[in-house]
Amino acid sequence: MSSQKKRNFKIEAFKHRVELDPKYAERTWKVLEHAIHEIYNHNASGLSFEELYRSAYNMVLHKYGEKLYSGLVTTMTWHLKQIAESIEAAQGGLFLEELNRKWVDHNKALQMIRDILMYMDRTYIPSCHKTPVHELGLNLWRDHIIHSGKIQTRLLDTLLELIHRERTGEIINRGLMRNITKMLMDLGPSVYQEDFEKPFLEVSAGFYSGESQQFIECCDCGDYLKKAERRLNEEMERVSQYLDARSEAKITSVVEKEMIANHMQRLVHMENSGLVNMLLDDKYEDLSRMYNLFRRVPDGLSTIRDVMTSHLRETGKQLVTDPERLKDPVDFVQRLLNEKDKHDKIISIAFNNDKTFQNALNSSFEFFINLNNRSPEFISLYVDDKLRKGLNGATEEDVEVVLDKVMMLFRYLQEKDVFEKYYKQHLAKRLLNGKTVSDDAERSMLVKLKTECGYQFTSKLEGMFTDMKTSQDTMQDFYASPFGDIGDGPTLTVQILTTGSWPTQPSPACNLPPEIVNVCEKFKSYYLGTHTGRRLTWQTNMGYADIKATFGKGQKHELNVSTYQMCVLMLFNSADGLTYKEIEQATEIPASDLKRCLQSLALVKGKNVLRKEPMSKDISEDDTFYFNDKFSSKFVKVKIGTVVAQKESEPEKQETRQRVEEDRKPQIEAAIVRIMKSRRVLDHNSIVTEVTKQLQSRFLPNPVVIKKRIESLIEREFLERDKADRKLYRYLA
Amino acid sequence: MHKLGRGNRDKVQQFIAISGTSEKVAVQLLKACDWQLERAFDAFFSQPQIRAVTDSRRLEELYNRYKDPYVDMITVDGISLLCEDLQVDPQDIVMLVISWHMKAAIMCEFSRQEFIGGLQSLGIDSIEKFREKLPALRAELKDEQKFHEIYNFAFSWAKEKGQKSLQLDTAIGMWQLLFAEKHWPFVDYWCQFLQAKHNKAISRDTWSQLLEFVKTMDPQLSNYEEDSAWPYLIDEFVEYLTENGIVPSRK
Repeated sequence: MSSQKKRNFKIEAFKHRVELDPKYAERTWKVLEHAIHEIYNHNASGLSFEELYRSAYNMVLHKYGEKLYSGLVTTMTWHLKQIAESIEAAQGGLFLEELNRKWVDHNKALQMIRDILMYMDRTYIPSCHKTPVHELGLNLWRDHIIHSGKIQTRLLDTLLELIHRERTGEIINRGLMRNITKMLMDLGPSVYQEDFEKPFLEVSAGFYSGESQQFIECCDCGDYLKKAERRLNEEMERVSQYLDARSEAKITSVVEKEMIANHMQRLVHMENSGLVNMLLDDKYEDLSRMYNLFRRVPDGLSTIRDVMTSHLRETGKQLVTDPERLKDPVDFVQRLLNEKDKHDKIISIAFNNDKTFQNALNSSFEFFINLNNRSPEFISLYVDDKLRKGLNGATEEDVEVVLDKVMMLFRYLQEKDVFEKYYKQHLAKRLLNGKTVSDDAERSMLVKLKTECGYQFTSKLEGMFTDMKTSQDTMQDFYASPFGDIGDGPTLTVQILTTGSWPTQPSPACNLPPEIVNVCEKFKSYYLGTHTGRRLTWQTNMGYADIKATFGKGQKHELNVSTYQMCVLMLFNSADGLTYKEIEQATEIPASDLKRCLQSLALVKGKNVLRKEPMSKDISEDDTFYFNDKFSSKFVKVKIGTVVAQKESEPEKQETRQRVEEDRKPQIEAAIVRIMKSRRVLDHNSIVTEVTKQLQSRFLPNPVVIKKRIESLIEREFLERDKADRKLYRYLA
Repeated sequence: MHKLGRGNRDKVQQFIAISGTSEKVAVQLLKACDWQLERAFDAFFSQPQIRAVTDSRRLEELYNRYKDPYVDMITVDGISLLCEDLQVDPQDIVMLVISWHMKAAIMCEFSRQEFIGGLQSLGIDSIEKFREKLPALRAELKDEQKFHEIYNFAFSWAKEKGQKSLQLDTAIGMWQLLFAEKHWPFVDYWCQFLQAKHNKAISRDTWSQLLEFVKTMDPQLSNYEEDSAWPYLIDEFVEYLTENGIVPSRK
């Protein structure tokens, strides 16, 4: 094979040029044009699709694409102008229907035309970067129908008018509306947005601004919110019925802004029906509606929360500072609990259990409970009341619920140590007077306090329970021992209290009747014989006694009295009348206690086993007392209570306060030393912050007190000031 | 001297022979100078106080003049006599400066060691020299650093033995004396305030912090800050001044 001889392939042109009739294009187009006319005139049934397709195909093939395309544009434009005229001619309500009908027609025609011109659509249009037939049809429709001067505004006005009529309660043809908006959407998102949505939103804003203004003038808050909610739902329904789904967020935000955000402040503060009234009247539905509506707008929830907080603080403050309320501590705490329950319920039902609302509630309670420095005492008294009366018929779960609620209040207290002090006092009284109804309930409360505040908080309280148990065992052993042979002397029950665990104040023992002294001595020698190195002191101010008494007509009563009262009554075994002075001398009971116990013996109706001369309402030092043999009672057992102030009197309060302050000093010092031991050097403010942090579970230390403690530690050389920077303290090991 | 090594003992004797000082001073100096004779002489001749005190016998005489007849120390009577000799009032602040130099442990008493040691370090061995020295001593109060030391010295000097804090009336007396030098405008208010509101002894911390307070505060107390760790007594004092309209309230 020779390499020089290359064979080149050549494509030769057609030998015979296909001669075209110069009128071919013109003729073919006429056919097609006619077809288009027929299509628009609903006469397409007679047309041959195959023939028309071929004609269009040939035109494109023979480079008459341009002619075909421009012809199409011209023809379609002509038809659309016709259509526009007929639409414009439509009367009133028929306008939209006509528009819709023509639109459907146009779409059908467009479909057919596109099919005929399929080849052009596939080859000529992409290569010449022209608009495809279908899109072209839509664009022409847009330009000649929708944007035609006479139609454009009329269309918009009609649509808005219809929507307005629907808003005012008329029924409109939603299907037609849907078709029309669908048309606008089909013409491209910008057509829908520019030609309809924007003006629609503007008009809506105007509508709702006017309507809300009108509502707010004449409706109360609850009604207004109902209306707003209904409007909001209507708009959402409207969108789902005949608007673009993307419009929903826009139109709802318009309604939210106009109906809610703009009137928020006025609504919550509305007189007689605003948020405060809703809270007061437990209007869960209204509150829930308000919550759900307001959460849609910025700052909505915080507006509700702020108003609620200030309302809570205000009412709480009134509650805790009302002198009337202070008279009954149990009622005081019950009211607090009710208040808490009420708002808990509101938050859970109406406010979706919103965490931020719960926090607001908690901080409000914390704020006002601590405004009254007797809150710790009262809360303890409340528990005392519940645990003392035995929660009549209440089940264990009920007790738990009550105690849990009390613990909630307890958590709000800043001065937990004050509560502890009172709780201890009250518990001691309950235990010693045998008033605890349920050991389980007492223990359960103790466990709660322990989990809340730690072991240290409750160790002494627990010690009290242990003492009670040990005392029982000791008494059993005593009566089993030779010492316990007391013959027909009075039965003695001793409760041995560990010093320090109990809130006992040293009080001088009174003179006990000889019978009692006898048993006491026996017990003492038994006890000290079995426990070496201990010391017993009698707390005669805390005991009680059952004594049998026979009165004038021989009727017998069993009197339940305090130890002091017993001492007084026993004196009357050997005398009929005694002066105050004589009683005081014989018993050596402290004057204030003696007066109280005489008062309850002689002045309480139905329990007056003594008679006083002269008769008067108070005990004076010149009074003389007689055994009242005319005493009668329908009960065999008569309980003579001592007139005791349930809550503390002013001086007692001062004293407790002072004791608390004293108790705090070592705690603060210990905290300072703990901190300084680990940090070695620290500035003043950091110490104050740290100490506060360490102690806040028990109480809120006062910065001035902390400062004084620091100074005291400096003086005792636990700390020193830094030589160079006087704000720094150093720990001296 | 017998505890010293042979070589060192020679040096001490040599030093005494040349300088004419006491054995004690010689040993001290030599020790301080690492037993180098030349350095010790340098030190000796460059320190006038040491050289000045040549006559321990005269110091002894001076001490004996004021000494209490029954105990080996100078007591109140001796101090009164000393003041008389010096022609100063016993209440004069210069007495505090003297006590400071003597490192006296408590007020109105000088032990033998304090008296003699103090005069030695001041280079005084006669009442005339003492009197001449008074203006210089008084001038020391103008020295910031020395005043500071004297102020803090005054606390332990004035307080009663075995107590940690200073009796209020003593403290007030001392403050009036000391701040007369310092010209603190609030000194009278301070004393009034303490008598009215506090009426308890003054702790060392409060004492020393007060001088800091006086030094740092401007006359309107405008640079006072509540949280800058002043003793609470000072905090309360500022409050007292504000309440009584003596300084403008800071709000």
